[in-house]
Amino acid sequence: MNETHTSVYKTKPEKKHGEVLLDIRNLSKAYPGVQALDSVDLQIKRGEIHALLGQNGAGKSTLIRMLSGAEIPDGGSLQLLGKNLTLRNPMDSQKAGIFTIFQELSLVPELSVAENIFISDLPKSTFGIIDWKIAKRRASDIMKWLGFDVGVDQQVKNLSVSQKQGVELAKALHHKAEVVLLDEPSAALPQPDVKRLFQILGNLKRAGLAIVYISHRLEEVQELCDLATVLRDGKLVDTYSVADTESSTLVRAMVGRNVNSSLLGEALAGVGRPRIGTGSYGSVVMSVNSISDGSMLHDISFDLHEGEVLGITGLLGNGQPELAGCLFGNRSLSAGTIRIFDREIRRSTPRSVINAGVGLLPEERKTQGLVLGMTIEHNMTLASQKQFSRGSIIDNGKEKSAVDRMMKSLDVKATGPSQIVGTLSGGNQQKVVLAKWLISKCRILVFSEPTRGIDVGAKEEIYQLIRGFVSEGGSVIVISSEIPEASMCDHVYVMSRGTFAGDLDFQDIDIHGDAILQYCCS
Amino acid sequence: MEMQSYNIVVVEEKYMEIAAEKHALEFKSSMVGKALKSLVTNYLLIVLIAIIVLGSILSPYFLTSRNVGNVLTFAAVVSIIAVGQFFVIVTGGIDLSVGSMVALSTVIAAVSMKGGTSPFIASLLALLVTGAVGGIAGLLVVKAKIAPFVATLAMMSIARGTSYLVQIGSLISIDDEGFIHFFAGKTAGISNPVIIFVLVMLVSAFFMKYSTYGRRLYAIGGNAEAARLSGLSVDTSIFSVYLLNGLLAGLAGLILAAQLTQGSSLLAQGYELDAIAAVVVGGAALSGGSGNPIKAVAGGLIIAILGNIMNLMTIPSEPQQVVKGVLIIIAVVFIGGEFKPTLFKKRQKNSA
Repeated sequence: MNETHTSVYKTKPEKKHGEVLLDIRNLSKAYPGVQALDSVDLQIKRGEIHALLGQNGAGKSTLIRMLSGAEIPDGGSLQLLGKNLTLRNPMDSQKAGIFTIFQELSLVPELSVAENIFISDLPKSTFGIIDWKIAKRRASDIMKWLGFDVGVDQQVKNLSVSQKQGVELAKALHHKAEVVLLDEPSAALPQPDVKRLFQILGNLKRAGLAIVYISHRLEEVQELCDLATVLRDGKLVDTYSVADTESSTLVRAMVGRNVNSSLLGEALAGVGRPRIGTGSYGSVVMSVNSISDGSMLHDISFDLHEGEVLGITGLLGNGQPELAGCLFGNRSLSAGTIRIFDREIRRSTPRSVINAGVGLLPEERKTQGLVLGMTIEHNMTLASQKQFSRGSIIDNGKEKSAVDRMMKSLDVKATGPSQIVGTLSGGNQQKVVLAKWLISKCRILVFSEPTRGIDVGAKEEIYQLIRGFVSEGGSVIVISSEIPEASMCDHVYVMSRGTFAGDLDFQDIDIHGDAILQYCCS
Repeated sequence: MEMQSYNIVVVEEKYMEIAAEKHALEFKSSMVGKALKSLVTNYLLIVLIAIIVLGSILSPYFLTSRNVGNVLTFAAVVSIIAVGQFFVIVTGGIDLSVGSMVALSTVIAAVSMKGGTSPFIASLLALLVTGAVGGIAGLLVVKAKIAPFVATLAMMSIARGTSYLVQIGSLISIDDEGFIHFFAGKTAGISNPVIIFVLVMLVSAFFMKYSTYGRRLYAIGGNAEAARLSGLSVDTSIFSVYLLNGLLAGLAGLILAAQLTQGSSLLAQGYELDAIAAVVVGGAALSGGSGNPIKAVAGGLIIAILGNIMNLMTIPSEPQQVVKGVLIIIAVVFIGGEFKPTLFKKRQKNSA
């Protein structure tokens, strides 16, 4: 680190590592019907990386939203370095030195890196004219200190997710952040970038900042964090020193019950590798024959069998979303054929694929899977209009009883079937999408990133539901860039540069997924 | 490990019976409660009642059957196109060509009757033409992917121009008694335009609430991509609302032609904006996915009644326009069910 770079973020002498930066006392927040946070006490200290763990609905996001000024607490107090804080809006928070980096980054895509970093206070010269020279130099200093070699004139929309996160961090540093909150920062990052992020966070920690890190990936927490606080049902369970705590203890604290009987519990207890499917399958139900899309994908073939859970994985940027698009009928094929139950899909549209008996669970639940403004009931029956209508008039009683039953069997946590879907937590929203297809009685489910942004407990539930579906004779395709997830499937295809580089049976996959990784990089 | 959730399937039948019984019971006991609740939560109805009370205080003439009949008869044309516009808006679209289509309809009807065509065929012809205009707008939106605002802006000009060309010269009078009676006369003391618009409104409301078609439109307006990935025929549905809107504009044109006993390309200027105002005052979001046809008509009636009250008080038309504009703003902020919660409470997203 050379001279210019250290000046970017000076470690002031008064910044004592270990002093309490943020003191949260009795913080509470209620929504209609839920106590989202229930008198939570938490101290965040300078120079530590503090993980925040919990299932969907545990209160993590609520806590983050209050610290970032997006929500106002019902009760309790916040102190920063002993001074009382009232956060009414995001500006208050940022002025106090609390920066939040959300999954959906809050940068202006059309503006340059420098403009984004200085968004609220571009340096001005004598006549109030923006001093671009200073702005650019300072922006590039901060970016370099963070370890990013990015032209500060570039528009942010042209950057990778990792670089965008860098810009967010630079913005925080420029505004003299004391506490940086990161909400699932690694969810959309490829592996090498995650490593880099960890290095940067380590540097920030040494520079005397406090980092609050939210993630669903326990391995990451173990690698990166000093402390881990677990929330459950809006209450703080405990704060653990990560180095002295087994991950099974953390999982147990998050789930609130003994998880040894469960799928992930089996693995944690060392019984063997977890497996989503049942391992027995029948005849071919879907047959994909050397399809190409004319740009990203070429020559992809596979067979899906009755009762099978088929995984498709690979590193980011190797064509998994594009393949999902083709299987959804959302992306046209330039060559090859898709047969579903002996029906050849000629004009491939979502509608024709669905009519052939396939349910589609897209990657983006909120923008592709759900009508957020509609009720749970109406979302669940969206793909089964024929089933619940006579001569196009909807049979409300029949619809309601099917929805009630599905809400019970999937354990959807809501005030009732008429709750608006947009107000549900991520895990419950995914259950609504799944319910939509279970109600439609489809025989094949195609998941794209089934558990993205979903925590351990809800993940477990989703896997259980998939297992239930295949044990009833259904078939499932799981397209996932999470190798551990793919390695739980009966058969795994590995994508590299737009085609299948290899395939493995469940038995051939080792516990670390090394065999899969080997194909990924081929 | 057994799947709890799928065991449920075994007891499915039994559960369905229980649920059905419970549903029936709840239904009876909740009917009265529901009616009361809907009255309280329905700001639109309260405002409508408040305006009627205000009117009866301000003018003794206001609540006479003659005046009420006049207001409703006058409101019929806008109410029908408001329903049509609602269908478009609920999918997240907009149709600016409505006023032009109404004028085109009056001209087609008048010209063909002048040429000796029977009123029935003339009416059918008018509906056919406006239906086609709406259908073309629908195709432009769905197939050519032109933004609804732009596509219908073009159709607005084309339809208005066509009505000039068809008309050739000044307005054409209509003297067919049968036509005038059917679209502007009275049946059992109630004016036919009122009967027609109430029918259009009720049938539309029924379909929006209880049919798969209505459900589809709400879903498309709420999130077209999710609707498409649920296997709904999004393009066909969107095309259909423009077609439907064209047909309803044609119907409104026939009523207007009969009421004025003429067809003219100069009629119905700016009616598209009245229709949009009605839908918006009725609480539907322009982004789609909300509102219903009854509310859209109620929104139009609120505007019409307020205009009537001001007429009775002999307020000149210029201040009336100011009041109308202010009313739209107030209505959208305070009446529109979609907007109210966000104004007074912070919006609540996922609970954690």
